[in-house]
Amino acid sequence: MLWVDKYRPKTLDQITVHEDVAQNLKKLVTEQDCPHLLFYGPPGAGKKTLIMALLRQMFGNSAEKVKVENRTWKVDAGSRSIDIELTTLASANHIEMSPSDAGFQDRYVVQEIIKEMAKNRPIDTKGKKGFKVLLLNEVDKLSREAQHSLRRTMEKYSAYCRLILCCNSSSRVIEAIRSRCLNVRINAPNEEQIVRALDFISKKEDLQLPSGFAARIAEKSNRNLRRAILSLETCRVQQYPFSSKQTIPPMDWEEYISEIASDIMKEQSPKRLFQVRGKLYELLINCIPPEIILKRLLYELLKKLDAELKLEVCHWAAYYEHRMRLGQKAIFHLEAFVAKFMSVYKAFLIATFG
Amino acid sequence: MDMDMDMDIPLPEELDLLESNARLLEDYPDPEAPEPYPYEDQEAPPAAQPPSSPDLQFDSEIQVIGQKRSRSVSPNGSLSETAELSEEKRCRTDESARATDEDWLRYSPPKGNESVVVEQGSFVREKMLSRYASEIDGECMPITAPNGDRVYARLDRLEGEERMKKLDVRANSDGLILEPINILFEKMDQEAFTKTLEASSKCQNVPDIPETPIVHEQLWVDKYTPNSFTELLSDEHTNRQVLLWLKQWDSSVFGSEICSTSDEVLSSLKRHSTVVQNQKPLDSKFQRTIGGPKWSNHRYRNSKSMDESGSSKSFQDILTRKVKHTGPPEQKILLLCGPPGLGKTTLAHVAARHCGYHVVEVNASDDRSTSTIESKILNVVEMNSIMSDSRPQCLVMDEIDGALSDGKGAVEVLLKMVSVEKKSDAGKENLVKERSGRRSSKKGHKKASLSRPVICICNDLYAPALRPLRQVAKVHIFVQPTVSRVVSRLKYICTREGMKVNAIALTALAEYTECDIRSCLNTLQFLNKKKEAVNVFDIGSQVVGRKDMSKNVLDIWKEVFQRKKAKAERKSHNSKPFEVNSLYSLVSSRGDYDLILDGIHENILQLNYHDPVMQKTVKCLNSLGVSDLLHQYIMRTQQNPLLVYLPPTAITVHQLVAQIQKPNIEWPRSYQRHRTMMAEKMDILNTWHYKIPPYIARNLSASSFVEDLISPLLYILSPPTIKPVALQLLSDKEKNDLAQLVSTMVSYSVTYKNMKSDMVPNSLRHEVADHLTLSFDPPICEFINFKDYTSNHYVLAPAVKQILVHEVEKQKILQVSIDRPLGNGSSSERPEFIEAGTSNAQSSKINHADAISVKNIQNESNVTKGRKNNANATIVSQNSHPRKGTADNMKLQNTGRMRMPSSGSFFDRFRKLNNKGFRSDDRTEQKEATLDKALHPLLFKFNEGFTNAVKRPVRIREFLL
Repeated sequence: MLWVDKYRPKTLDQITVHEDVAQNLKKLVTEQDCPHLLFYGPPGAGKKTLIMALLRQMFGNSAEKVKVENRTWKVDAGSRSIDIELTTLASANHIEMSPSDAGFQDRYVVQEIIKEMAKNRPIDTKGKKGFKVLLLNEVDKLSREAQHSLRRTMEKYSAYCRLILCCNSSSRVIEAIRSRCLNVRINAPNEEQIVRALDFISKKEDLQLPSGFAARIAEKSNRNLRRAILSLETCRVQQYPFSSKQTIPPMDWEEYISEIASDIMKEQSPKRLFQVRGKLYELLINCIPPEIILKRLLYELLKKLDAELKLEVCHWAAYYEHRMRLGQKAIFHLEAFVAKFMSVYKAFLIATFG
Repeated sequence: MDMDMDMDIPLPEELDLLESNARLLEDYPDPEAPEPYPYEDQEAPPAAQPPSSPDLQFDSEIQVIGQKRSRSVSPNGSLSETAELSEEKRCRTDESARATDEDWLRYSPPKGNESVVVEQGSFVREKMLSRYASEIDGECMPITAPNGDRVYARLDRLEGEERMKKLDVRANSDGLILEPINILFEKMDQEAFTKTLEASSKCQNVPDIPETPIVHEQLWVDKYTPNSFTELLSDEHTNRQVLLWLKQWDSSVFGSEICSTSDEVLSSLKRHSTVVQNQKPLDSKFQRTIGGPKWSNHRYRNSKSMDESGSSKSFQDILTRKVKHTGPPEQKILLLCGPPGLGKTTLAHVAARHCGYHVVEVNASDDRSTSTIESKILNVVEMNSIMSDSRPQCLVMDEIDGALSDGKGAVEVLLKMVSVEKKSDAGKENLVKERSGRRSSKKGHKKASLSRPVICICNDLYAPALRPLRQVAKVHIFVQPTVSRVVSRLKYICTREGMKVNAIALTALAEYTECDIRSCLNTLQFLNKKKEAVNVFDIGSQVVGRKDMSKNVLDIWKEVFQRKKAKAERKSHNSKPFEVNSLYSLVSSRGDYDLILDGIHENILQLNYHDPVMQKTVKCLNSLGVSDLLHQYIMRTQQNPLLVYLPPTAITVHQLVAQIQKPNIEWPRSYQRHRTMMAEKMDILNTWHYKIPPYIARNLSASSFVEDLISPLLYILSPPTIKPVALQLLSDKEKNDLAQLVSTMVSYSVTYKNMKSDMVPNSLRHEVADHLTLSFDPPICEFINFKDYTSNHYVLAPAVKQILVHEVEKQKILQVSIDRPLGNGSSSERPEFIEAGTSNAQSSKINHADAISVKNIQNESNVTKGRKNNANATIVSQNSHPRKGTADNMKLQNTGRMRMPSSGSFFDRFRKLNNKGFRSDDRTEQKEATLDKALHPLLFKFNEGFTNAVKRPVRIREFLL
């Protein structure tokens, strides 16, 4: 078992990183009235941990007792009927799923399946657990249509069903849904908090953690707590006792992107662009989301750039990322960005060095 | 036009020669088929003999020349027709005149000319001819009708003189090529007409006008179909190849008597296959093989043969050396392919006729099922034996790629026959040499073989139905004839039809239709009907319909990436807009924008364009990006009308990067490849995700797997500190590490697997470690396996992997046995098993609490201990979160303790094998163990799972009930 999972806080009280949020949530739940919730924040910030702890707070231990169900739903969509396969995690009081797994058919998931689930009142209505919870992951990946069909469900069955939505960015969740929810922003933990978490773990594991080393891990982790803890464990496996000069193994894909970046900086030509294309394809093949690639690539390029170019390059990166989200073939836009960068950079080089 | 030149120029100075030729021509009997022309022997001498002066002879000769273009082969005896035609002006035979009239109507002489002739035929029919020569005063000449009637016709002296004059005129006008010939003819005939009117005592002024429009209505395409080999417009080389191929059949089809000449022809054909048209090999054999002698060409041919005779001498040595070629050619089927309108069918017909075959055509409109085709081919093959008089047949299978199912049947039959032929060839090699023997031997065969030439015609060589045929057939691909050749032909026809066009317009037309002669002619006729002069703008504009050409995608990419040469660009006068238009229509008629854009994207960076600051590249990629956005938008909103804005991307790219040199186009594979591979990996991730127990998996999304998890996990899973030694030799700390590693692997459901064998991973346990390549079971390594990237992940020694596999398996089995009773209450379908599991859990509890130590069976305790440990681990991790800290500690403790006895020894591995199939034997073992235990009454607390639900004391035998 990885430390990430082992030392994951289980209750709201144990949560250290977002303590204030946790306390507020606790108050909210103990008052027996829980609105719909929308958690959003970057990956590795602790959304899921919070949600789990919250569920536990609501339903006690039974929230932990979950059952995986992979089920095919038959949905009547007008003239034909569609089979949708969906995996759900269900306990007695809550159901968890990622409707965006259904791809472009997510609308039917929301319209039929979620509605049906929301309709069913939990059996033991006597007493406190008067409602059940639907936990929807990756709401920002839902199509617009699906999000719109979610609106009505949220209102109609609010008497006995609460929705907890979880996503990375609230900007891709439509306004109507955001206004129906209590928005909880979970920001990425800052480096101090990460260091504290690392310290906590190493104490539990009986490790001697040099303070500088923890800071380095925190810095490299990009404010991603999950990554920080994983790095710590990796370092532990690689070499123990720690030395503060120890190398922290990098993420392989990030390493690869930085290779690409140095390729780009070395030569700007269509030939080189072709090579870069091959490498970008490699990244995409390995399921790395194109947005992340673009972001990381920009980051790596910025490290090597002159200050006066940074603004322009950032502008173009944003421009192409926008296009990428609108379009379908990410490689076109990634490549266009690289080409644009090459063009800008080469013009700059010519202007500077003649 | 050059053809005209050829024929007209020699006229004046070769008159006497021509005269002799004419006679020679008529004298010549067809050795192969003399039957249809029984009268020619009687006919020919009088034709030469009559007491007419040489000028008369000229006269007829000129007539022949003048009309040769317009006549096509008459199916009935053409020599008789020749005779009739040569005397058409003078002899008015009832039957023959009528017959000729009809022939003319059918075979469309030039317009003005024949109307006059018709009139003449109808009105002057008195006293001009008689059964007896004595009844006619003045000169007369005998005429034989096709039915054998013989009459004498009066010769009109005056008309002959008139013609003499015109002959001069004609001779003078030879040089003026552009002057319409038919106008001249018309004038001539008009004059002749008036003269005849005066000369004859009675005249009937009832011209047969109503019949003329019919003639006019005929399609130019049919009207000007090439009738002789020399008129073919298609590529000279192909023509010759086809002819050569047909000639190779001669020896087997026509028999040995012509072999010598055939050899000569073959050699000369081979020699001259690339030489210009005029050097066409001709010899006496030609005359024979020409079934229906096309009279219009006779003079020409003969004159040519005179020229040729000299040069043919040079081949004498070749001739003597040459081994006689016998038997049909290697490939028995000729496959002609090429775009429509280039004259494939025409070539096949003309060439076959030229070589003396009777053409049997099977096209898409016919029934082409297997049986029909077979009988048809059999007919073709057997025909000769039944009707010896007729010419041998040649099968032309047109449009063979058209109908799939039917075409297939035809192809199958052909293939079958070819294969039969091959077999019989192999068997009767000797017989093949001797033709007569061969024929008889063939009769013996059950299956018919191919003994007549078969020409197949298709548009798409690579149609799937034709695949087998391609291998056995001789394939000729038609290329476009040169523009100039098409234009000269068009010009000739236009002149013929009295249409005023200039060469530039015709050139434009030819280019526009890509040298599709058929569509050129149709267009011209259409324009002629509108009485409009053809000019370039007409052709460029929408007045002229354009063929809807849908090109191959590869060709489209080529068009996009290749710029026309500057010269060619100038030639097509209006370069830029024209280019844009053509490219647009090209792309949009193809349709498949997604593919086209992919192809552009794939190949654009391979081009060799000058782009110092990458401006062009950026522009191209931007426009590709826009097209992607547009495409996505259209797909999402179903706004299909917007699709028209997709092709401009291709135009932009073309304008920016098109190069003159030929691009090296590759099919766009990488995008699709990336799609499929990504889907595969996504699948791996998802299945992995499902396998991981929910309390871990719920915190991870698929993207966070690759982003955050995999790289560290790989490091963690292969710690360099682990030594490949037996477990007993490990220190406590190392064992602890190992235990942790195993628990990590189990919780992330990662294991090692022998990748070479497809067997279950467990089975590799007893195999020798050395030649196994163990790798992670969800192949998580591959997620960081980027091209040109070397990760510095430590790879465990195979022995360690082995141990890990073993441990993980053990853990998993234990976990399963625990999970069953705990996880789902619905697993009651196997009560015994639950029982076993529970008892197991109980026993583990016992162990845990140190209440008692069961020592009946050493092995058993081993197992139970292992079980216990795992049970503990899972229970703790899953259920007892509040007591997490202590539980964890306890678990760790236990793992440490447990490793000692249960791991390492070979014997133990063996036991694990038992464990694997433990549903059966292990359970029984378990049972007996519990029975043992049941002897001692045990009391223990049973904390079932997380809820601490069961709190009453339970006896073990209660579980055994």
